Amino acid sequence: MIPGMLDGVKVLDLSEDIAGSFCTRLLADYGADVLKVEPPSGAQLRRMGPFFQDDPNPEKSLFYLPLNLNKKGITLNLETTAGQNILKRLSLHVDIIVESYEPGYMKSLGLSYDELSKDNPGLIMTSITPFGQDGPYASYKGGEIVEYAMSMVMSISGLADREPLKHGGFQAQYQGGLFAAAATSIGLYGQSNNGVGEHIDVSIVECLASTMMATQTIYPFVGATQARRQSVGDAFSNPMPCEDGWIIVQAGGGATWEDISDFFQEPKLLEPRFSEPAQRANNGAEMDEIIINSIKSRGKWELFTKAADARMLFGLVQTPSELIDCPQLESREFFREIQHPTIGNIKVPAELFKVSETPYQLHSAAPTLGQNNHEIYVEGLGYSTSEYSQLRQLNII
Amino acid sequence: MPKLPLEGIRIIDSTYVFALPYAGGQLADLGAEVIKIEGPGRPDITRSGGLYGSFPDNITGEDWWNRPSTYNLLNRGKRSLTLDMGSERGRDLFREMVSVSDIVMENFTPRVMRNWGLDYPNLKKINPDIILVSNTGYGHGSGPYSGYPAQATTQEGTHGHCWVTGYVDDEPSKAGRSFVDFLSTWSAVFAIGAALRYRKNTGKGQWVDISMYQAGAMFLSEYLMDSIVNNREGTRIGNRHPYYSPQGCYPTQGEDHWIVISVTDETEWSNLCKAMGQPELETHQDFSNVLERKKNHDALDQIISTWTAKNDRYDLMHLLQSEGIAAAPVLDGKDVHFDPHYKHRNFLERVEFPEHRNMGTRILMGRPYKFSNTPMKILNPAPEFGEGNEYYLKELLGIDNDRYDSLVQDAIISTIPITGDPSPTPDPKEALERHQIATWDPDYKDRLQIS
Repeated sequence: MIPGMLDGVKVLDLSEDIAGSFCTRLLADYGADVLKVEPPSGAQLRRMGPFFQDDPNPEKSLFYLPLNLNKKGITLNLETTAGQNILKRLSLHVDIIVESYEPGYMKSLGLSYDELSKDNPGLIMTSITPFGQDGPYASYKGGEIVEYAMSMVMSISGLADREPLKHGGFQAQYQGGLFAAAATSIGLYGQSNNGVGEHIDVSIVECLASTMMATQTIYPFVGATQARRQSVGDAFSNPMPCEDGWIIVQAGGGATWEDISDFFQEPKLLEPRFSEPAQRANNGAEMDEIIINSIKSRGKWELFTKAADARMLFGLVQTPSELIDCPQLESREFFREIQHPTIGNIKVPAELFKVSETPYQLHSAAPTLGQNNHEIYVEGLGYSTSEYSQLRQLNII
Repeated sequence: MPKLPLEGIRIIDSTYVFALPYAGGQLADLGAEVIKIEGPGRPDITRSGGLYGSFPDNITGEDWWNRPSTYNLLNRGKRSLTLDMGSERGRDLFREMVSVSDIVMENFTPRVMRNWGLDYPNLKKINPDIILVSNTGYGHGSGPYSGYPAQATTQEGTHGHCWVTGYVDDEPSKAGRSFVDFLSTWSAVFAIGAALRYRKNTGKGQWVDISMYQAGAMFLSEYLMDSIVNNREGTRIGNRHPYYSPQGCYPTQGEDHWIVISVTDETEWSNLCKAMGQPELETHQDFSNVLERKKNHDALDQIISTWTAKNDRYDLMHLLQSEGIAAAPVLDGKDVHFDPHYKHRNFLERVEFPEHRNMGTRILMGRPYKFSNTPMKILNPAPEFGEGNEYYLKELLGIDNDRYDSLVQDAIISTIPITGDPSPTPDPKEALERHQIATWDPDYKDRLQIS
């Protein structure tokens, strides 16, 4: 097995949610040893559906399974003094702790960054929360829709004459996880040079806001705010219906406007009211009609392939099952199989990006609850078998 | 004060548009020396302006290519070097730069760097421990779409985002602005931290091959899993929550003002009913448990909207949050500049431009992370086109004056783009009438206290 880029880096993952779990999953995927520490009842994520075959079993959450690949797992009750002392012992041996509890919770357990870094000054602790560790809303409740609302994303998503629209799924949480992993890997590299640890404070609202690069800047440059799109006359570059789904087309790339007109077999598009970008904006409704009419009996795959030949910027709306069967993702080995103790062989989305010198390895499925307890407590921390069984009886692990 | 984490790291940033240029800007904040490389005849398209790359105060200016808003956000803190990569002389200079750098970032379509002899195997010959970061639409390799042109706007469909985004049972919808670009931005930052550590420990470089398409699909992992094991395709549920209810976006007092509310258990539901002054709703047969509330979500949305419409969005947030209910106003590109939380976090930074650039002070977003022991800020404004030509070519590479002059003469380097025209920012009054923008404050500089 070729060691990964983060070989030798030890991580404690205290997170129970998507963002923290995705952050540590990325660290694990690129070589770190990640130990997930869950309450004896299991991380919140285990209770999030969908579930494998719709069975709401904590080992079968379709969030927990992919987000905890390549990790080990133990249980530990952090709300007991014994549990807190065990965590302090564990933290002496790690480079990174990732947590996503509400600000102040770790401190209330005596497990704040200041506390844990006393005996491990190079420690990196990454805290991921909706609003960050300080500020007037720090203790406010977040969540997917709240974070989209606060971050400008919703203000420009959806239609101008309807309510703002959040993005589908839980992509904001994944974003928080990725951006936190980025900060953590940079922090770790900095630490390797100057020995200084860090408490890294990641706000999911700020992660999402950071992507609004045009929306934020237009105000301090000209005093304007971006609008949501109009319901008519703005179909170009938005999903347009064809025979068996939707396609998306955009001007630019290697294609000229003539190429685009040829592609749609609509010479009318060559008239200046469409071919001139400035005029196009004023004749959107008419252009929508022409284009949508021209593709209504054409299939999305035929259009997609022909558009690529014409060097057009072109997309089609794919469904989850189409993504699973996608030959491009297959060539990239995006989906891999792994044996899970409860579920058996299962296909999962694997690496985020490819690296040449340290090829990706999927070496373990998500841990079952407390799967590595014996290994960590008895073999690692040196508890005797009777102490180990006592910890279990006292519901500490 | 500790050094910034990437101090001493030199990065060649041969990238265009949004994704990796923004990674370069972030890496500059983190202490790296980031050199933006553009061809004299191939300036970055974010230099051209337009509505979403507005020129300051709507003044195109003589050196318009240095002035647009998004260009200045994405490329802050960098140096600028021009090189005509289409010429062998330009590529030779590029190779010389590679020999004295740590990292190269590029986002050409896969064949380009290969055809130039600048792909990873060749770069490794010049600098054995070089780290190369490539970002493309579909990724390098032998896959059928690898050579396809792509941009975030069309990829949102392909990688599944549009399928899961949209109003309840309505057609697929795009993000309001490029979305998948930024997954590549922070994938690159993550990869660079890890690759630098790996190089430090092993002496080896790395080629990082990022595909926006693949990253986008990753962010829908639970949908992919649900399809793999349960044969489900997912649905569009607008602003609703897959398990809880109610959740939505509701109108409040004020033009285009909204609040989002998300109730996640029975206590919160009870508290919401009391806050609305309708405690009897809690046990009403249509809403008495989460399954009923999901079934009757439309009716419930009506009731909530009637209440929120009479209230101020910030008052509602504070009231509901004090009752333990997740709620927040929908903030737009103007609102964030005046929100007390954003202010407290110093997320928006004042960047002062040098006198001769006639851009005054502008407010730009910083970074979505704070390091407790290492304060960070935007260190410098984005560079003027080719401002670093003399420094890098003469001082760093030691090129003599004659050779330098001939490079200028033959347009291998330049301090003025030799092609391209500005797209003037539309007149805000007209843009308002056409609904291209939502609001316009002519006195924005006073409001922001910038000059």
